[in-house]
Amino acid sequence: MAVHRGTGMATVEYPTGMNQNGDPSQAWIKVKPDGRVDVFAGTADIGNGSKTVQSQIVAETIGVPYDWVTYDNSNTDSSPLCTGTFASRATFVAGNAVLKAARQVRERILSVAGREMEIDPADLELADGRVSVVGTPAKSMGVDEVAGAATFVHGELLTGDGAHLNPGATIVDPATGEVDLPPHAAISYAACVAEVEVDDETGDVQVLKLTQAYDIGRAMNPTLLEGQIDGGAVMGLGFGLLETCYPYYPDVEHRGDSFATYHVPRMEELPEIANVLIENPSSEGPYGAKGIGEMANNAQPSAIAIAIHDAVGVWVTEFPITPERVLAALDRKAAGEDEPRREGKVVTYDAHLSVNAVASKISWTP
Amino acid sequence: MDLVVNSVTHQVSSPPLTSLLEVLREELDITSPKVGCESGGCGACTVLVDGEPRRSCLTALCMVEGVEVTTVEGLGTPAVLSRVQQAFIHHYAAQCGFCTSGMVVAATAYLDGGGSADLESIQEALSGHYCRCTGYVKILEAVAAVASGNGFDLTATASSPNTTYVTIDGGGQS
Amino acid sequence: MKVVGARLPRYDGVGHVTGRTTYVDDVRVPGMLHAAALRSPHHNARITRFDTSPAESMAGVHAVVTHADVPLLVYGHLSGAGIPGDEPLLAKDVVRYKGQPMALVAADTVEIARAACAAIAVEYEELPALLDVRLGFEDDVPVVNDTFGNWYDEFEGGMDRRQIRKGDWKAALDAADLVVQGVYRTQSLEQAPLETQVCLAIPEPDGRLTIHTCTQALYFSLGVVCAHLELPLSQVKMVGGTVGGGFGGKVDTASDTLSALAAQKSGRPVKWRWTREEEMLASSNRGPWHMEIIDAVTSDGWILGRKMLSLHDAGAYGRFSVYGLTKHSFHHTGAYSIPNLHFDGYVVFTNRIPTTAMRGYGVTGLSTAIEIHMERVARELGMDPYAVRLKNANRINDTSPNRIAYEDPSTVEVLQAIAEATGTQLSDELRKLSRAPREGDMLPEHLLAQIGEGGH
Repeated sequence: MAVHRGTGMATVEYPTGMNQNGDPSQAWIKVKPDGRVDVFAGTADIGNGSKTVQSQIVAETIGVPYDWVTYDNSNTDSSPLCTGTFASRATFVAGNAVLKAARQVRERILSVAGREMEIDPADLELADGRVSVVGTPAKSMGVDEVAGAATFVHGELLTGDGAHLNPGATIVDPATGEVDLPPHAAISYAACVAEVEVDDETGDVQVLKLTQAYDIGRAMNPTLLEGQIDGGAVMGLGFGLLETCYPYYPDVEHRGDSFATYHVPRMEELPEIANVLIENPSSEGPYGAKGIGEMANNAQPSAIAIAIHDAVGVWVTEFPITPERVLAALDRKAAGEDEPRREGKVVTYDAHLSVNAVASKISWTP
Repeated sequence: MDLVVNSVTHQVSSPPLTSLLEVLREELDITSPKVGCESGGCGACTVLVDGEPRRSCLTALCMVEGVEVTTVEGLGTPAVLSRVQQAFIHHYAAQCGFCTSGMVVAATAYLDGGGSADLESIQEALSGHYCRCTGYVKILEAVAAVASGNGFDLTATASSPNTTYVTIDGGGQS
Repeated sequence: MKVVGARLPRYDGVGHVTGRTTYVDDVRVPGMLHAAALRSPHHNARITRFDTSPAESMAGVHAVVTHADVPLLVYGHLSGAGIPGDEPLLAKDVVRYKGQPMALVAADTVEIARAACAAIAVEYEELPALLDVRLGFEDDVPVVNDTFGNWYDEFEGGMDRRQIRKGDWKAALDAADLVVQGVYRTQSLEQAPLETQVCLAIPEPDGRLTIHTCTQALYFSLGVVCAHLELPLSQVKMVGGTVGGGFGGKVDTASDTLSALAAQKSGRPVKWRWTREEEMLASSNRGPWHMEIIDAVTSDGWILGRKMLSLHDAGAYGRFSVYGLTKHSFHHTGAYSIPNLHFDGYVVFTNRIPTTAMRGYGVTGLSTAIEIHMERVARELGMDPYAVRLKNANRINDTSPNRIAYEDPSTVEVLQAIAEATGTQLSDELRKLSRAPREGDMLPEHLLAQIGEGGH
């Protein structure tokens, strides 16, 4: 009886935006007479940080400080449509909508500033809340002054609207699954290496470390991004080892009805986490961003399963990998029952789990 | 009976076995303690009772007569943030924010009790506080930073000690 | 760039740390009622008696909402995508899963509402339940879904499964040196946000409804509420956008529609906050997957073909499961290019809670299966797992299962980065690889065929 160490690696890919696209987001922006910017978008912030990231996109695109931006996603009367915060789409799809709206606002600010300064707007630039003449930075006016002039001199409202829609992809041949257009907005890639300890007496698995690499497109806000990736790693650990609604699936009894009986990862179960984040900008994402919110929990379960095999030589392919399942696999191994079936060039693992073992109307063979 | 919350004495009329959580939220409109499970299992409703962290969902009103109850509203305000609150902002320790009140309260009790920056000690002190968003990494960093006596810039957030960035060229396609 | 890319604090961070952020449950209005649901205690049963009058006559009860109060009882979450609805908002005549809502009571207090639910006179004829997706196709099993039977059969072209075919699986099988078969079963998970489902629906004097919602998708939920209530979108104002965690579990928020109906019927604001027990036992969760993968490989590590069966355990009703399966099918080669594919996927109904999205919908379990299988292939071949993955990693101009060229895949670069980060030595050959289009010696016959077929 001993504790064994093992290492496992997994690689995953994941799309940004809804599968088959066709998921619009819209936004509009207005500017107050002192140049402060109000963004209206219907993107719920579920903790993912869309209020923050979309405000950053607007500030950057117009050329005003971050703290000049207010973001209102509070209701469907004021805010235009956003398909929603899911499918890793809030930064990419909804972010593109606010980006387009912000570009319009910027153009309108430059247009009014051009009239105020009697200069071609093409010769103006806008940054840090000031419009200035290209090459003559001393000649400038604040966006607050421009907005005041728009309101009280020119009788104009500085607004912008934007919408983003990747056209929906259609399955043109249901027999093959062929589609007519790309079915995703972008694809992200990631890999994870898990280091585990497995106690062969209790079946207990401890994850010591998760090392992760993500192609994140562009880090819009690195701290926010790291938070999502760390959180995803722990959720992936929960998937791999701890969580299930049906502990004796497919049986439905013994369901966990509280945090005491449904095992969400706890603070003391946190492994060491190390991340390498790769900036590989997407041509169509706002400032190169991709959506990585969901994929952050996709690579850990398999990396952990592979690490367990590396440690004690058993494959557990039913999740989560509970101590009971580890011990059962070790028992099968001790009894010589875990070897795959080998017939000619065909190697068959897990035959006892297959539809072939229990069903008569469906089978799956080479 | 009288209930002292954040140094203010309130006359409350809820029955004595009403949970403190319900009294705070429903009778006094103090909504920072969150209803996460009503069975002491998540930590989102944690308040200080005479400086000690307590699950307000499991604390009957009659048990807090004559003692000082402190919620996160009593630890700091948007204008005058406590150091723990500053640390949670600077370290991006809140995402959805629903567990945050309880986390800040429990971390404050730990640190006021002389808690150190030792990771395992913080984990032990905050054990039973669930966060589904952050993976706890930045919460632990925030609490450790307070224990280490750090100052907190509230216009920026802390870089991560566990993350490195690389750029690959040739990008620019979807 | 100065603002984008900067480590700025959360927009709502001060609110979060001071307890001032307002979530749905923090909103209270005068005259507000509280709601509780009557839920099915059985996995499968016929309702033989359903009498709400004992609840209606209780003091403090202001509305008992049943199926008879819903203008459009059945509305599919994917109706916009042409997928028929199958799930009644409240059970009528039958219940198909334990926890299925049958009535919502709005009362002065939640205690009264719960007591009223208990007072509703219900009798059931319990029926056997189908719980194992592998048995859904058998002749002698219970029928779960009253619209589709035991598996969804209205895919494009009237097909009863999502099918992917590419290249020639049989040819790949014949050419293979080794065929590796494995079975992977991933579980149902509860999204478990710290904030449970919660809603506050307020009837306004102008006839509109204001709905404070925890939805992840304000406009999607607006559409669902208005469809069930047969109202134009202008008649409902969804208020939300600040959510205490979602992870996919707050997209199909039936709480909004039911609370709205209770508010309409009672003429009073109605708040319905689910208990943690309800959240754990009755809210939609991540769907389990049964996956069987057969890979045809060469002795030097090329994956020539993949034959895959996926059974998506949808629970009792469809919700988003067809979407989830389709997404799953589009990604069943993972981060790799496999030229010959034979994929069959079914949405199978069982007498459990209807499943829904959770972080990585359709793909998290799939990635799990694929990667364990890749490792098994590498070990069967006696090859370095990095070498097998890098060899088959998708590259620019390789094509996806549905014949779309990858424009900028970074599998190779990500694998090289993780190797470096973990001190794993890669051979010179593997270190020199990139995502650049395949050429010359890296391009065996079968991949040439793929590019010829799919290059565009």
